[in-house]
Amino acid sequence: MDALLDFARGPLFRFSFAILVLGLLRILILDIWGIIEALRKTDDKKIPWKLVSIRTLEWFVPVRKVFSNRPIYSSLSILFHVGLLLVPIFLYAHISLWKGTVGFGWPALPKLWADILTLLAIGTALALFTGRIISKTSSFLSRKQDYLWPLILVIPFLTGFICANAGVSPVLYRICMLTHILSAEIIFVLIPFTKIAHCIIMPLSQLVATIAWKFPPETDEAVCTTLNKKGAPV
Amino acid sequence: MKTAQITPEERERAFASAKKPEVIDKQKLKVRYHVEDYNVADRPRQFLEAFSAILKHSNYRMALDHFIRMSAKCSRCATTCQVYQATGDPKDIPCFRSELLLSVYRRHFTLGGMLKGRLLGNGYLTDEKIEEMAESFWNCTACRRCTMECPSGIDHGLVTHLGRYILSELGIAPRALVVSTREQLEGATGNTSAIPVPALIDTLEFLEEDIKEELSVEVKFPMDVENAEYVFFPAVSDFLMEAETLMGIVAVFTVTGDSWTTGTGYFDGINYGLFYSDRMLERVVKKVDAETRRLKGKKILIGECGHASRSAKYYIPVYCGGDKALPVINIMEYTHRVWKEGRLKLDPNAIMEPVAYHDPCNIARQKWIIEKPRELLKAFCPNYVEMTPNRDQNVCCGGGGGTVSIDEVRAYRTGVGGKLKADQIRASGCKYLVAPCANCKKQLRELVEDQGIDVEVVGLHDLIYKAIIWDEKFKVSSSPAEEIPQKQEDK
Ligand code: SF4
Repeated sequence: MDALLDFARGPLFRFSFAILVLGLLRILILDIWGIIEALRKTDDKKIPWKLVSIRTLEWFVPVRKVFSNRPIYSSLSILFHVGLLLVPIFLYAHISLWKGTVGFGWPALPKLWADILTLLAIGTALALFTGRIISKTSSFLSRKQDYLWPLILVIPFLTGFICANAGVSPVLYRICMLTHILSAEIIFVLIPFTKIAHCIIMPLSQLVATIAWKFPPETDEAVCTTLNKKGAPV
Repeated sequence: MKTAQITPEERERAFASAKKPEVIDKQKLKVRYHVEDYNVADRPRQFLEAFSAILKHSNYRMALDHFIRMSAKCSRCATTCQVYQATGDPKDIPCFRSELLLSVYRRHFTLGGMLKGRLLGNGYLTDEKIEEMAESFWNCTACRRCTMECPSGIDHGLVTHLGRYILSELGIAPRALVVSTREQLEGATGNTSAIPVPALIDTLEFLEEDIKEELSVEVKFPMDVENAEYVFFPAVSDFLMEAETLMGIVAVFTVTGDSWTTGTGYFDGINYGLFYSDRMLERVVKKVDAETRRLKGKKILIGECGHASRSAKYYIPVYCGGDKALPVINIMEYTHRVWKEGRLKLDPNAIMEPVAYHDPCNIARQKWIIEKPRELLKAFCPNYVEMTPNRDQNVCCGGGGGTVSIDEVRAYRTGVGGKLKADQIRASGCKYLVAPCANCKKQLRELVEDQGIDVEVVGLHDLIYKAIIWDEKFKVSSSPAEEIPQKQEDK
């Protein structure tokens, strides 16, 4: 068991983390490359930066958006994201692990806050899952991954919480810890290949949608040639 | 604001199709809009070939790649779409509409999708899917309101736009739009309403006389004047249907004395390409540019029309020279500027009835022209009212995306697409509904008629015409002296 834990903590962690980072980097680079290419191809290179920035920021500080449309779902989703992002990054135990291996750390969340946020993440994830099942519109659109993600994400939070709080027996502690680490690693590996990839490219969405409307010139001729439609009537 | 779901009877009316069964059979298409005969053989292959050609020569790939990675399927867009609100049909959820095309892209144009498709041996594009797209993409008014509500930033309007473009390469596009565009690009008259130049000149002379009679003011629609500051392109249908808008515009130019002209070589602002084919969009935009350059005009001036304005404003730079392209302005910008400069005087109590302003999606969604018409209206309509939501969040008239020109879907437009708008108009209590757009005007008139709302739909310049305070110097001195007081008595 201990050997397995060490393996999960060590090589397996490094491997999955590398996939996460490299995978996201790949997507980011592809996205940015797409934007650069699109701008190179079009003659209209003016970008309404103000509008793009406002519409991008509106989603990062979604105060106005929350209550304008589906307020319950939107608030749940925001709280969920807050817990999801803050806890893994600012947990004392995680930071000290980092410090141990790479030599630097950053300020941690107070334990009480970490606990509250963990429970918040778990609660909201389950609520979002339930909401997806109940809502006629969401369930119509949902794919398998849309149902699975909130459930998968709960696992590391729940097991982490148990390890940090409950005075469980050493065996149970180890099982929980192993599940905690392995589930997190599975998540890392999956992120770049699923919708969670949005965590890296979301800031580019409004820019992409704006530039997408800027077409390259002379495409009429080019498309006609490719489709053998040259000289064909309208 | 939300509208109630339609009743089963309303649904039946809205979705009734006038299509003959033999046509449906022959064209293998159940859609309600008419389509010209096209090659129905192996449509999936045709579709994929067209898709691939378009991807090769466009910037869509970047957007589609981004969208398929982002899509979270949260369904937040559902509540915004006026079509979904009215039908309650989950297939009208914007995200579902987009997924129709995104799934084809994922399956046939991404490595992962192709591998998965091969391995599992499924997911190949089917005839049914093509039919579903042909139906869905034209149920949407391309208003792009859902885009504003998508946390993932998926531009459903763009996906619909692309889907229609691909379908049009197979020959699946509303006949009404195709026929008009054909006349515009290849026909003898060179415009979508098939107005010959002599008829145009007649119409304008008639309007000049009308104004002279009404106001004792001599106005002139300048034709083919070279080196003018503005070359004017209204939606050509205005020459037939929106005389009052044109009268307001000529009145403003008469007051300011600025140089403007209409070219007899080409005088149509309409660009249905924006609604169904980028190739047509490009061809039409180039005609606008060419005519302006022929006349050595300095700026392109678009009349009261949302899609005409958007296609010129955003696509003259794209297709006609980038940085060096001719500037494009909309008539509302011009009128607002001359009013601000004090060159246009408006009677503050000209219109006493409640007046509301409808933002055309193509003008407001990108926050292009929003406050200017409002400021103008407030200057002469003391009872100005707002419809909410408004400005860049406005609700579509229900006839957007070219659907207004498809007469056979009127019941759908006024029963489903425009249902939310109808509620909004009723709630505003307005008497005049100002819509500075040829498309919106036609749709809104049909909407208030079909929904039984007592409102007059007008253009912005229709009202400005009534509000202008004329300086004595414009009054025609030759007219018999007694005629003027007579006129005023009539009022
Ligand atoms: S563009 Fe408008 S009509 Fe089309 S799906 Fe979006 S909100 Fe609905």
